[in-house]
Amino acid sequence: MTATERIWTFVTCLVATLVVVFLATPLVVTILTSFGSSSLFTLPPPSWSVRWYQRLTSVRGLGSTLLVSVEIAALSTFSSIVIGGLASIALVRGRFPGRTAIGTFLTSPLMLPGLVIGIALLQAFRFAGLRDVWTSLLLAHMIVTLPYAVRTIYSSLLLFDFTLVEAARTLGCSPMQAYIRVLIPALAPAFITSGIFAFLASMDNYAVSIFFTDAWTKTLPIMMLNLAEEQPDPTIAAISSLLIGLVLIFLIICDRAIGLRRIVDQH
Amino acid sequence: MQNSVLEVAGAEKAFGSTTVLSGVDLAVENGEFISLLGPSGCGKTTLLRIVAGLLSADRGTVKLSGADITGLPTHMRGVGVVFQNYALFPHLTVAQNVAFGLKAQQISAGDIRATVAKYLDLVQLTSMADRPIRGLSGGQQQRVAVARALAVSPKLLLLDEPFSALDRKLRELMQIELKRILREVGITTVLVTHDQEEALVMSDRIAVMNKGAIEQFAAPGLIYQKPASRFVLDFVGHSTRIAGTTAKTTDGLLAIETAFGTLHAQSGYIPGSPVTVAIRPERISMSMAQETPPSVNVLSARLTDIIFQGSKYHLLFENQGDSHLLVEAGRIPEGMAVGANVHLHWSLEDTLVFPGAQE
Amino acid sequence: MSDRTPDRVALLALPALVYMVIVFAIPVMVLIGRSFFGPSGLSVTPYIDFLSDGFNWRVIFNTLRTAALTTLVCLVIGYPTALALSWSKGFVQAIMLVAIILPLSVGVIVKAFAWQIVLRRDGIVASLLMATGVWDEPKLLLFTETGLVLGAANIFLPFMILPIYSVLKLIDPSLQHAAATLGAPPVYRFFRLSLPLAASGIISGCSIVFSLATSMYVIPSLLIGDRYQTLPTLTARAFLLMRNERLGSTTATILLFLTIAIVMLTAWLVRRREVQT
Ligand SMILES: Nc1ncnc2c1ncn2[C@@H]1O[C@H](COP(=O)(O)OP(=O)(O)O)[C@@H](O)[C@H]1O
Ligand SMILES: [Mg+2]
Repeated sequence: MTATERIWTFVTCLVATLVVVFLATPLVVTILTSFGSSSLFTLPPPSWSVRWYQRLTSVRGLGSTLLVSVEIAALSTFSSIVIGGLASIALVRGRFPGRTAIGTFLTSPLMLPGLVIGIALLQAFRFAGLRDVWTSLLLAHMIVTLPYAVRTIYSSLLLFDFTLVEAARTLGCSPMQAYIRVLIPALAPAFITSGIFAFLASMDNYAVSIFFTDAWTKTLPIMMLNLAEEQPDPTIAAISSLLIGLVLIFLIICDRAIGLRRIVDQH
Repeated sequence: MQNSVLEVAGAEKAFGSTTVLSGVDLAVENGEFISLLGPSGCGKTTLLRIVAGLLSADRGTVKLSGADITGLPTHMRGVGVVFQNYALFPHLTVAQNVAFGLKAQQISAGDIRATVAKYLDLVQLTSMADRPIRGLSGGQQQRVAVARALAVSPKLLLLDEPFSALDRKLRELMQIELKRILREVGITTVLVTHDQEEALVMSDRIAVMNKGAIEQFAAPGLIYQKPASRFVLDFVGHSTRIAGTTAKTTDGLLAIETAFGTLHAQSGYIPGSPVTVAIRPERISMSMAQETPPSVNVLSARLTDIIFQGSKYHLLFENQGDSHLLVEAGRIPEGMAVGANVHLHWSLEDTLVFPGAQE
Repeated sequence: MSDRTPDRVALLALPALVYMVIVFAIPVMVLIGRSFFGPSGLSVTPYIDFLSDGFNWRVIFNTLRTAALTTLVCLVIGYPTALALSWSKGFVQAIMLVAIILPLSVGVIVKAFAWQIVLRRDGIVASLLMATGVWDEPKLLLFTETGLVLGAANIFLPFMILPIYSVLKLIDPSLQHAAATLGAPPVYRFFRLSLPLAASGIISGCSIVFSLATSMYVIPSLLIGDRYQTLPTLTARAFLLMRNERLGSTTATILLFLTIAIVMLTAWLVRRREVQT
């Protein structure tokens, strides 16, 4: 190894270490705080405890809020994968003008400020007489989740060899059967990863949700935001740590499905 | 013909303004192995896809064992296809790929297993049954594709350039192997290829295609010795060509004036038409200038080059500095060296005449 | 039949398209349209009113300034990281990728709340600066612009690293060797070779981080508070607290146009580079 190469290796490792530490800081701080006994966020905590996790059971409305968040995230993700998957097939297989424009349009909410979308929807739903919080949240969250579904499924479909579907048809499958038996299994990894990232995006969303929640029906991020403003104590850190754990599990599933490097490419 | 398994009549197809097939007729007998031979882009795959029902023709009919299947969807046709890239299902194992078509039918699990085992044995992949597709070599993939197509017992098997992904040595091996498998099954087969050797080696009959039409449909020997058109002559094998003009016919013999003197042929042409005389290079005999050969067509030329090709020689001749004539020989006659004046001669049957001057 | 399916296949896009037009495009268009409607028809009065107030200029300035600072910090940290990522292999690279993807997938509120803890008077950053002797006495970083930029840069850093990395990993390493054999010194190689080749990644990374930082809401709410208003915080306040929807629509539309301008500017920059090279 030459001297310059050694210097570069050293610099690489140094930069890598520093940035890994920097990026990990908020997550590590959250987890440490959640296991501390002090309510003053002292780090390192004077002693360890699980009292903030035990306190979660007594946070009023946490259960129903969590349920709303999961329901909305799961339903909007599922519908997005269905209509986004169909649209992706059209964009990849279709021979019609404006395909690129439609693709950009379907993924454009990713580029626009969430608050603006939220306000636009608030006014539109009010105009349409839609008052129900749950329905409003679902309709709005599909705007958040659909771009993830379209982006991932579209890029996987581009790599899909459609002669496989024809092969299935020459082997006695009707067109519908052929798609179900060949296309769906081949795209399963794409469905899983796009589903997970759409689900997380919905679970984390505050910018759109903030305009639709009320005192009775809210989503988890809105509740956390309220808690952070009203009574900041490590309870939020406990909720956050559980969410980090959820993300970790999801990422392991994604890694199994398509591998770490392709997750990176998706972003 | 009552015995035809496949009958295509008047098939036409255009994509937008480009005509890809312009009236194709094709009849394939039961148990026959035929090839569709033609240059890339001449419409072979298009014709194959119309037969398989993956594409519909603009006009024309397709009959399978006498029944009109023109409007029948692919999965009800019973036509097996081996695709150019094999189109094996990457999420399934070798055995699952072979079982795929059987599972679409109402067949018991035991029967499926037995059938899969039978076809894996036929293509000698029994030991690979539970391997994923990803790790297979090109030759193995091809055999899986063949087993998968045969397992559903189709009436007709279509192969779209099945050897194009293999390197030369393997390709020659697999041609023989595939022929063995298909003979064992006794299935009527249509092979699409742009490789004339492949077509000559494997087929009972060859349909030579050009620009969306079949120019000649005949046994390999006939295609080679009696090409029906200039295109077939050029596309299949080498030829030595001499431009000329027809003169009068005497005693059934057509005289053709060329730069090498007068040549003779059998066919009848109006005097004064420009023609091309063609001879397969290995049908030309050589003798030293002193002797007089017995053939009707003789010309003398100077040997300019000898090219060694392994099993044979290519000899190049020249006359008055313009035309290069190619002769193929297994050995060089004694005393013949570059610069020698040589008589080239060939029989009347080997003299092929096509209208139009040489390009 | 099958060769005509490509045309019928287009119909599959219809559910998503109809949904997005009705629930997304039309509401956004209406929002923009309404911001140009005063009580007496078409007018730009709301904008003139808005822009004639010095406070609002301050808000726009704050928004752009914070976004620019955040982008700068992200670029300065992100470029070397992307380089290190493209040089590293195996385990080190896997660790780095996890360290990027994991925080990226965790919600913004979780991270912003963590930064509230980090930036406290007795938080990690203050302790660190005290320990290294940079500070003599603990200071509050929370509710300062420095704290805001630090937190935002941390949260948006992955969006800078990944686009640059995706370009860098495609660059043929033999180019570096070729340049070295031609006698180019490292600094020259950096400015004339690495940087121009990575430019498209840098442009898109900056564009993403800048537009994210322009439209961030939770991070300033938690890290700097009401004193420091940006377009998004003012927009949310207008709707949620002040119930002044006219103001909110105006700020939202300005924010929207700002984001669209960034996207278009980026597209233009990238296209110009493609024409040049
Ligand atoms: N779906 C299609 N749309 C437009 N043109 C096509 C399509 N499929 C084939 N073609 C054109 O038809 C011609 C014949 O194609 P093909 O049948 O694949 O040729 P071959 O298999 O003999 O190489 C080519 O010029 C090709 O470009
Ligand atoms: Mg072809």
